[in-house]
Amino acid sequence: MLFDGDFLKKLEYLSLISRRVFRGSILAQRRTKQMGGGIEFADHREYTPGDDFRHLDWNVYARHGDLLLKRFQEEEDLHVYFLIDCSRSMGFGNPPKFDLARQVTAALAYIALSNLDRIGIIAYSQEIIADFPLTRGKDRILSLLRFLEKLEPQGTDTNLGRIVNSFALRPQRRGLAVVISDLFDPNGYERGLDLLRHRTYEPHLVQIHDPAEARPQMLGEIELVDAETDSVRKVTITERALREYRKVFDNFQAGVAGYGKKYGLGCTQTTNEVDFEDLILRMMRTAGAVS
Amino acid sequence: MFFESPGSLLWLALGVPIIIFYILKIRLRRLPVSTVMFWTQVLEEQNPRSIWQRLRHLVSLLLQLAMLALLAFAVADPYFFWEARSARRIVIVIDNSASMNATDVKPTRLAEAKRQAEQWIAGMRHRDEFALVAAGTQPQVIVGFTSRQKTVSSAVQSLATTDGPSQVADAVALARRLLGERQDGKQQEVVVFSDGRFSGVEELSSALAPLSGGREPPGTTDAAATSPISNATSQAPVKLQIIGTRAANVGITQFQVRRSLVDPLGYEILAEVTNASDQPVECRFEVDLNDEPIDVVPLKLDAGGKWSQVFEKTSALGGHLLATLKHDDALAADNTASAVLPRREIQPVLLVTSGNLFLQKVFEVNPLVKLTVVAEAPATVPAGTVVVYHRVAPDKLPAGQVFVIDPANATDLFAIGEQIANPIVTKQDKDSPLMSHVRMDNVLMPEARSLTPTLPEQTLILAEAVTKEPLFFAVNRPEGRVLVLTVNLDKGDLPLRTAFPITVANALHWFAGNKQDLRESLAAGSLATISSSDFAHPAKSASLLLKSPAGELKTLPAIERMTIGPLDHCGVWSIIEDPGSADLGKAIAPKTSDKTPTDEPLLEIACNLASATESDVRPPEELLANSTTASPVLAGLGSRPVWFWLLLTGLVLTTLEWVMYQRRVIS
Repeated sequence: MLFDGDFLKKLEYLSLISRRVFRGSILAQRRTKQMGGGIEFADHREYTPGDDFRHLDWNVYARHGDLLLKRFQEEEDLHVYFLIDCSRSMGFGNPPKFDLARQVTAALAYIALSNLDRIGIIAYSQEIIADFPLTRGKDRILSLLRFLEKLEPQGTDTNLGRIVNSFALRPQRRGLAVVISDLFDPNGYERGLDLLRHRTYEPHLVQIHDPAEARPQMLGEIELVDAETDSVRKVTITERALREYRKVFDNFQAGVAGYGKKYGLGCTQTTNEVDFEDLILRMMRTAGAVS
Repeated sequence: MFFESPGSLLWLALGVPIIIFYILKIRLRRLPVSTVMFWTQVLEEQNPRSIWQRLRHLVSLLLQLAMLALLAFAVADPYFFWEARSARRIVIVIDNSASMNATDVKPTRLAEAKRQAEQWIAGMRHRDEFALVAAGTQPQVIVGFTSRQKTVSSAVQSLATTDGPSQVADAVALARRLLGERQDGKQQEVVVFSDGRFSGVEELSSALAPLSGGREPPGTTDAAATSPISNATSQAPVKLQIIGTRAANVGITQFQVRRSLVDPLGYEILAEVTNASDQPVECRFEVDLNDEPIDVVPLKLDAGGKWSQVFEKTSALGGHLLATLKHDDALAADNTASAVLPRREIQPVLLVTSGNLFLQKVFEVNPLVKLTVVAEAPATVPAGTVVVYHRVAPDKLPAGQVFVIDPANATDLFAIGEQIANPIVTKQDKDSPLMSHVRMDNVLMPEARSLTPTLPEQTLILAEAVTKEPLFFAVNRPEGRVLVLTVNLDKGDLPLRTAFPITVANALHWFAGNKQDLRESLAAGSLATISSSDFAHPAKSASLLLKSPAGELKTLPAIERMTIGPLDHCGVWSIIEDPGSADLGKAIAPKTSDKTPTDEPLLEIACNLASATESDVRPPEELLANSTTASPVLAGLGSRPVWFWLLLTGLVLTTLEWVMYQRRVIS
């Protein structure tokens, strides 16, 4: 069973850690870009008639005689969208990458729910195959876990761009979009992430791969069967081809990391061999949430 | 193109399973992967080779089929018609006689002959057949016809030196008989490597003609098939490769020893030294007996001159005589010569007689006889004593050596009859050593008695009267030898004749057996016939060993009479008892030279080169004039058989397929 009692205990532990330190880091209680009735000072602007006098900075007026209005960062509950890749490539590996993806989704969602954020889950392969609507409150965790547990790898053609296109058209608030996938998208993962960025979502990548994908060991005459498309390719795999493959794969991984770095996105790359709690802690450490 | 073994082409059928396996191999191993996008990217980079990659399996199959075909054809041993027609059958004759040990060509002439023969063998082409015949001491086929180069080469290298005479003429005849056994259209020839010092060289040289063209080495001369030396089955031409220079050599060409005719303890040595060179030489000739010098003669020999001398010496002890020529020359084997001088043993003689001065004196004068004269025969006689009964003989003659003279009564070995008034010897056995130098046909023998031997099958009549009655006969019984002479010494004139002491001396010598016989030195390479009676003492072992001068041992059968040899090395050969086979029926011990027989040799035989032909190491001038030192043309790569090239191509294809496999699978 993927989500058992121990799993729930681990979620609770992670949520406790995150409650103390997560503020303003990854999830929940995040400052929005909207200025308004928050308590945290943001900057000044000149007074214009009609402004609330309560927000005038009288200290500045006393010193310099300028009428400046204090602006505050408005705080709001965050909307977190989890885009979980359910393509058949995610069923690859031992344990399957899809298991870790669901565990990570559950953990991050629990943390968000614990911080009174709203979360929604979009399961996709070649299209959105399941949707866990926006919800709030820790009491929704069990239904969320049931939702995740029912998911299975399926679909024949992953296309993140098409998914994001339909996802972004939804009339919903912008927020954090956590994409959990292997990003093995023949059409390129960048288009989907670009769309997210352009639609003012904040993408965060959790990329999972199997070590056998990074370092395959097969040699000789082989028929490679694509797990997603069932297409067969006859190849003669030599040591040289293996070296080339590793080079291509490493380039791909570096490309993913570089993309995240280029656009200031959170990017976590992992294999399916790590435990989900270790992965969550690592993400926290990376974000400076824990030491 | 023809095939030596066309049945081997059936191996081509293996191509069927190869094709089947190839077809089965099309079904590749399926392996699911999460995505092929990376593999697509990798393989797209190799697109320039995609055509090759599509074809490489087919190419691999074709390579494998080609390899199979090449191997099958190679096993079938194909050859061309012209290849079979140009094949040669060559007999290499190498003279390994004594003169080939000369060191005028470094290291020796034989080594040089081997080197030149190796050059010929290196030129061996496919389908050529070579044989090797040794021409020293006795012509011998070392290796029969073979097309395996290594076999002939190792046979040449293993050819041993001998001190025997050169038998090139016989070897060539043997080689031609070898060639004559098969007629399959191959070119046949005999190539002789010799220094030209052999009998028949004149016949060969008279037929020599310089070579022209072809693959034959320029240093070779050709004897036409019309030469008398070619009196053999085959008419194959003979090519003679001369080894050596006209080097100077001085050698002992005679060294024999014999007993003195006048002194029983004396012996005479006949020595001859020949200067086989174009310059006069000075040297010293020494003779040692058991390493003690007994004579030294300084010699001055003219070019081609000879010196000979008879040395008269005395020795009862005997031993090894060694003649040494102190001279540094091309051939060492003829600078020494040896002979074996047996020890002279004193013979005890018991004369039982009522009195006869002639008879007593004839024994007394012999220094090798210890005479005891008695009137009546004692009850026992010491072993080894020769008992001489005069007139009175016991009814049963005792065991041992017995000489009965003028018997008056019958014994167990003969019956006695009437007197023969005046018998005349009309027939005597000239071949018997007992009658050596003895003539009895004019000896008066009045009152001889008619004797009838009771053991006729063991009796040898030495002299008989005209009436066929034996007058002097020998009985070779198992208990000992017996001689019977029916002559009245008081009335006949035999005691006054020289035949009498000679007969007595012959009798004593016969009684003593062959132990004291002086065996003449043999020429190296001779055979020797020996019998057990020649041994110094009876053999105790079941088997015997022949020990060469170099210490090599060879097992001999322990039979009564045998022929040993050829004794092809100079020095003293010994027959010894096999210490590993002391009991009859025990396994013969392995032949090792470190064996140390405990007893003294049973028999020793001296062998000397003693050959003016071998000592003269100068090749005939006319042969030398035609000889050059050029090397034979070697067979090039093109001389390899077709199967070799097929195999080589197969190897190349195998390597190619291996490389392809490595590139395909392991990179």
